Amino acid sequence: MGLFFHVGKYYELMLKVFTKPEKRIMYYRQTVREMEALGLNSVGIVLIISVFMGAVITLQTAYNTENPFLPSYLIGLGCRDSMILEFSSTMVALILAGKVGSNIASELGTMRVTEQIDALEIMGVNSASYLILPKIIACILVFPLLTLFSMVVGVAGGWLAVVFTRVITPTDFIYGIQYAFIPFYITYSVIKMVVFAFLITSISSYYGYYSYGGSLEVGVSSTRAVVHSSVFILLFNVILTQLILS
Amino acid sequence: MIEVVHVSKHFSNETVLKDITVTFERGKTNLVIGQSGSGKTVLLKCIVGLLEVDEGDIIYDGVVFNKLNFKDKKSIRKEIGMLFQGGALFDSLTVEENIIYPMDMFTRMTTEEKKERANFCLKRVNMENSNHLYPDELSGGMKKRVAIARAIALNPKYLFCDEPNSGLDPKTSIVIDKLILELTEEFNMTTIVNTHDMNSVMEIGSKVVFIANGMKCWEGTNREILHSDNQVLNDFIFANSLAKHVKNTIKN
Ligand SMILES: Nc1ncnc2c1ncn2[C@@H]1O[C@H](COP(=O)(O)OP(=O)(O)O)[C@@H](O)[C@H]1O
Ligand SMILES: [Mg+2]
Repeated sequence: MGLFFHVGKYYELMLKVFTKPEKRIMYYRQTVREMEALGLNSVGIVLIISVFMGAVITLQTAYNTENPFLPSYLIGLGCRDSMILEFSSTMVALILAGKVGSNIASELGTMRVTEQIDALEIMGVNSASYLILPKIIACILVFPLLTLFSMVVGVAGGWLAVVFTRVITPTDFIYGIQYAFIPFYITYSVIKMVVFAFLITSISSYYGYYSYGGSLEVGVSSTRAVVHSSVFILLFNVILTQLILS
Repeated sequence: MIEVVHVSKHFSNETVLKDITVTFERGKTNLVIGQSGSGKTVLLKCIVGLLEVDEGDIIYDGVVFNKLNFKDKKSIRKEIGMLFQGGALFDSLTVEENIIYPMDMFTRMTTEEKKERANFCLKRVNMENSNHLYPDELSGGMKKRVAIARAIALNPKYLFCDEPNSGLDPKTSIVIDKLILELTEEFNMTTIVNTHDMNSVMEIGSKVVFIANGMKCWEGTNREILHSDNQVLNDFIFANSLAKHVKNTIKN
């Protein structure tokens, strides 16, 4: 019952969000602003996490495959493929669900409980579309770039780990990351991220937009936004992998 | 003139408004009073269309508002100015941008004209030279005044104020009340004010509607309140002992 209620209301909200904008210029300005607020401001956290994860994946692969029959360049390959296939999209999306999702939900929730959304509606603005559409578009445009960025710095993190610890020679690592490279994996990851970007922004917007009450409820909305976005990211990760890679 | 005809509204688990019928006249400050939680805000939001009524009609000068489509509603909304309880100024915009916002949405005025109008409105509420401040740099009373300036930016025919004095000291309250009264007379607006503040009732209530438990319980002028025999109304208005004493003295 509760689930159907939410799905129906979410769908209704999305219909309102995707109506034709009236004052295009205001949407354009808003989208650029959101690209900066939601996308560019996340570069730092993506950088840090990717570098460290790349390094750890490399070290763990190295210490768990001390079999002389396995060529050591496979460690570079392992780091590359883990980063490209899973980490740069799914894991980064989960991190962004925490950062961007809570940000969106609390911003919209605050606007709701302080009646700023009502004020917009009174002025004849389609508040759902005006507030949410720019966020969705901004994230769909910027998050895939963060995925590409994460791939590059993640592999670089693996390389740094190799350089500092010498578990294998850097030359082997470099050979490994070029070995049997499948460009389609990058496409696959980017497609996933586009879907995740939509899930994060729309689900978080839903919880923020329909907050009711005071600051306490805004906190609750923001928690729900993060939890539910994360669950849907994991679910769609399985679905998309089956659809795209099978 | 705004007519509310047999309006009911309920949320999933409770009925908030029950069969309310009332008329608000032009050029007057119409007050809706009642305990906190009695449904004043819900009534106001039904009138302006932020909430859908379940039953009944909202009629603006002969036009049944709640049956209009989005576009036609918008043409009436252009005539509406609303002051929300907390001001509801947009946090990310400066005072001037806040006031210009409705002009951006509804008109094709040039930047110069918009700025001029914004300055006029700010001057009218005694907030000149605050153009470039952000809402969080203002006090409660200043926020309310800027919100009033925004509400009158488009020269509205209808002005709605939700608890304009909540959270303000008595002196500032009176300034805001006077401002609402003056603007109403100056621009001949139909004004509806929600309040639980008795000073406002006595100062500006040319018509007072009392709501209790979601029903219209009493209506009349502020002078008539003093002589009313309505028990619920008296319990609400003359809640403290001083007020009770005053009332008894008047009666005798
Ligand atoms: N969006 C909503 N959803 C559910 N209940 C609501 C909503 N808005 C108001 N209510 C309920 O309606 C009642 C009247 O609220 P309100 O009109 O805000 O009172 P007040 O007279 O203080 O302005 C309250 O009990 C409140 O809980
Ligand atoms: Mg209220």
